[in-house]
Amino acid sequence: MNKICTIAQKELSIYFRSPLAYIMLIMTISVFNIFFFMIIDQNREATLKDVFLVMEFMFLFIVPLLTMRLFAEEKAAGTMEFLMTTPTSNTAIVLGKYLGSLIFFTLIILLSGVYYGIIELYGEPDRMAALGGYLGIWLEGAMFIAVGMMVSSWTKSQTIAAITAYVSLFLLYFSLSFVEYLSGPPEAIVRAVSCMSHFANFAAGLLSLADVVYYLSIILFCVLLTRLSIEPKLWH
Amino acid sequence: MINIHNVSKSFGKFLALDKVSCNIAKGEIVGFLGQNGAGKTTLMRILTGYLPPSSGHVTIGGDDVVKKPLSIRRRLGYLPEVPPLYPQMSIREYLTFAAKLKDIPGKDIRAKVDKALSECGLSAAQNKLIANLSLGFRQRVGIAQAVLNDPEVLILDEPTKGLDPIQVRQVRALMLGFKKKRTVLLSTHVLSEIEQVAQRVLMLDGGRVIADSPLAELYKMHGGTLEDIFFKLNTPREEATP
Repeated sequence: MNKICTIAQKELSIYFRSPLAYIMLIMTISVFNIFFFMIIDQNREATLKDVFLVMEFMFLFIVPLLTMRLFAEEKAAGTMEFLMTTPTSNTAIVLGKYLGSLIFFTLIILLSGVYYGIIELYGEPDRMAALGGYLGIWLEGAMFIAVGMMVSSWTKSQTIAAITAYVSLFLLYFSLSFVEYLSGPPEAIVRAVSCMSHFANFAAGLLSLADVVYYLSIILFCVLLTRLSIEPKLWH
Repeated sequence: MINIHNVSKSFGKFLALDKVSCNIAKGEIVGFLGQNGAGKTTLMRILTGYLPPSSGHVTIGGDDVVKKPLSIRRRLGYLPEVPPLYPQMSIREYLTFAAKLKDIPGKDIRAKVDKALSECGLSAAQNKLIANLSLGFRQRVGIAQAVLNDPEVLILDEPTKGLDPIQVRQVRALMLGFKKKRTVLLSTHVLSEIEQVAQRVLMLDGGRVIADSPLAELYKMHGGTLEDIFFKLNTPREEATP
C-alpha cells in the first residue's frame, strides 16, 4: 500500500512539473466554463445534464494526453527497468500509476463542482441527479484512464500510446452511433459495450447498478491486462 | 552467494545466452567481459530478475530469482546500462523516491540518501534537476541509487561509462571499498579497470562462457596482458547484435 502511494505521488509530482498539467487544467476548465455558460443560457434550466454530456465528450480527447506517458515514457527512458528491479511488486506499480492519474482527473472534476454551486445559488436543481451525474462522469473518466493506461503499457512510444487510446475510446464512445444499422444481438452488444449509453443514464440522474458494474468491470479488466502486459515472465 | 546454473536465454530465434554456469562467492568482485552483444547485459538482467531465463536457474543467497523476486531485490543494487533517471526530479528527490521503493524505513531515508550522495560525490549538486546534469553526473546518480540500500550484491552495467578520469578513479575507489563486504559484478569495456578492481573475470562471447577464472590464473594460463588475452579468446565479429 505504501508503495502504491509512493508511485502515485511520483506520478502526480511529474504531472505538475511539466507545463502539460497546467495547460490541461486551464484549457479543460476554460472550455467547460464556456459550454456551461452556453448551455445554461440556452436551456434556462437548473440542470447539469447537458454539461455532463459535453464533459464526457471532452474527456475523450483529454484523457489520452494524460495517460499516454504512464508506461511508454518509463519504457523509453529505461526507468521501467529501475522500477521493476526494486522490491516493488508489479501490481503496486500498476495501481500506483492508476491512482496518480485518477487523482489528477479527480481534481478536474472537483474544479467543475463550481457549476453545481452556481445552479444551486440561482435555481433549485435536483441534488441527487447532479450528484449522480458527477459520479457518472467520474466513473467514466476512471474507465478512460484505465483504457489509456493499458494502451500505454503496450508501447515505448507516447505518440502510439495516445493514438491507440484515441482509437479505443472513440470505438467505445461512437459505436452507439452505428446502432441504427444493426439489429438483434449485435445491436444489443453495441448498446451494452458503448459507454455513451451507460453515461446517458447517469447524466439524466438515473443510477442503476448495471451501469456502475459496467464501468467497474472495464476498469478491472484494463488494470488486469496492464498488470499482465508488464509481466516479463509472459513475454520473454 | 550467486549460483548461475545452465542459464540460456533466447529472444525469438536469437540465442543470447547459451548454457551459462558460474558460481560467485560472497565478497568477490567479478568483471564481465565481452564484445558488444556477447550477452553481458542480458546476463545481468537475468541476475536481477528483470528478465526470466529461458532455461536454467539463478539463485542468490539460496533464493531463486524467479521464484522470490522481492526478497532478492531487497538485497540487490543494480545500475542498468542507461542510468534510470527521471529528468523532472532533483538528485535528492530521485534518491528519496528510490529509497522508498527499496523498503528503506522512513526514519533512515535521510541518512542513507546523505551517505549515498557523499559516497558518489553528489552532495554539492543534490538539488540540481537531473535534466540539467552532464553524462558523468547522471552516471553517478545511477550508482548512488544502486548503493543506496547497502546491498549485499551490486550489479553494475558499465559503471564508468561517460565519466572523466577523475570520476573514474573515484568510482573505482568506491568499488574497491566494497571488496570483501559486498559481492560486485560489473561489466566494462575498459580492460585496465578490470585489472585494477576485479579479482575474477567472466568472459562471454556469443552467449557462451569462454573464460571464467581468477585474474591471476588467467595470466598464468595465457600469458601477456588482459588485452592480449581478450584478443586471443574473442573472435572479431563484423556485426554485433544486442
